Amino acid sequence: MALDQTILIAAGTALLFVGIGSVAMSKNLLKSIMSFQVTVFGANLALFASGMGFGSRLVSDTFVILSVLVGASVEAVGLAIIVVVYKKYGTLNPDEIRRLRR
Amino acid sequence: MESELIAVVLAGGLFVTVAVALISSKVSNSLIALFYSSIILGIAFTLYGDALLGLVTMITFAGAISVLLLSVVLITGESNLNFGPRRLAAGAIPLAAVVGGVSLLALFTGQAGGIASSDSSLNVLSFLWTLRPWDLLILMVVFAGAMVAIVSLLGGED
Repeated sequence: MALDQTILIAAGTALLFVGIGSVAMSKNLLKSIMSFQVTVFGANLALFASGMGFGSRLVSDTFVILSVLVGASVEAVGLAIIVVVYKKYGTLNPDEIRRLRR
Repeated sequence: MESELIAVVLAGGLFVTVAVALISSKVSNSLIALFYSSIILGIAFTLYGDALLGLVTMITFAGAISVLLLSVVLITGESNLNFGPRRLAAGAIPLAAVVGGVSLLALFTGQAGGIASSDSSLNVLSFLWTLRPWDLLILMVVFAGAMVAIVSLLGGED
């Protein structure tokens, strides 16, 4: 495996876990969506780098494009849900929303 | 050597912009940093030979999603993004340091002939580079997962 491939895979994996940790810990739904975007970046980078060095990269490129499109769609739906939740509860703090639901 | 240097610079730029986006409590800074990280990712794809993928990434994330995020921020008026406890920074910064350090070490040991040379005993951590690629990936996943788990365990309710 080439060195640049190792570096990119390591960076992608680290971004993936930083994003997952941030999604789990953030106290704002908007920040969760931003963290999810970071997770998608990490996954895309690791997928792309894993296809480097092989003759044809069609499979990894196809998966990355699929991941980009699915990630963007999920983010758009998440943002729409955030707007609805904000109109209903007036806050984007998950703990506060859970308290108001009771 | 040149492509490795480009990889280190791109990975470093991605880490810096993502760290700013996730740690900053000002929504404008977060949005701008996220925009730049999308651009850097697109540039990485383009530089490594896939211009179409870079273009798709930039159009989708730096274009459409950034505008959507901006619209939602304007609708909700959430100017102060409360990140909660800043313990993630305590996990993210060592993780970034470890990845950056390993990358630079790999870069410079490679430059010194550690990978091509048969005498690998002179290189620091040379055993690491003799592992198979999947072992390296699994090691990285285990380390990153352990770090996230520790951060989550240490982080309680405010």
